[in-house]
Amino acid sequence: MPTSSPSPRPERGKFAAKLLRGGNEPDPRFTLANERTFLAWIRTALALVAGGIAVEAFTTEVFAPVVRTTIAVVLLVLAMAIGCGSFFRWLNIERAMRHKTPLPLPLIAPILAIGGGMVAALLLAFVLLRP
Amino acid sequence: MRPTRPVPEHHDAGLQPERTSLAWSRTTLAMIVATAVFLRWFPKYGWFTGTLVAVALCTAVGIYITQQLRYHRAVSGIANERIHADAAAAAWVAGSVVALSALGLFAVLFLALD
Repeated sequence: MPTSSPSPRPERGKFAAKLLRGGNEPDPRFTLANERTFLAWIRTALALVAGGIAVEAFTTEVFAPVVRTTIAVVLLVLAMAIGCGSFFRWLNIERAMRHKTPLPLPLIAPILAIGGGMVAALLLAFVLLRP
Repeated sequence: MRPTRPVPEHHDAGLQPERTSLAWSRTTLAMIVATAVFLRWFPKYGWFTGTLVAVALCTAVGIYITQQLRYHRAVSGIANERIHADAAAAAWVAGSVVALSALGLFAVLFLALD
């Protein structure tokens, strides 16, 4: 696509050059789309962090301490897994695009689904069994 | 933010630089909302809360001040049909989310008072 004044191309940072070796730079639109997807996962992880913290901070009168701590811990562990996994997913997609190989399956999607289901099941059990 | 450099133009009908820039803005907002939630821990965990607030705010401010640079890079990337993947920014944001959850876990497991 033509433009009035194409800016000089900046060199790659050392960190990126080390992590993303070989292959060719993919279509910039794909790189940007990958970045946006990564950020969507990061916001999901952030919501889980805030959720875990909120459970521990706001529900002192609602849940028994052990239930509250369990839910907070599951949410925070989930946030850590999604936060960590989102970076490696971003990296693996970027590598796959550089080498024109098929995109990897998202491992963090089932982790999120199972973790979210676990928290919902815990809450349901708590609500049903509450005296 | 007032532009300090002339805003570059691009001809991408899909508005990729704008959408990516907005995705970063949403992430900043999410960080700030999370910070507000962390503040509710202050009565319970005291100054330890400050570590969570500091990590989240540093990342939020860091994203905010590099927004213009990132947008300009995305625009020139679209114009040159070549863009460098920003591994450092991704590692930094993911790292701070992992740090926040680790700090939260530490507080819940080892600092709980009741």
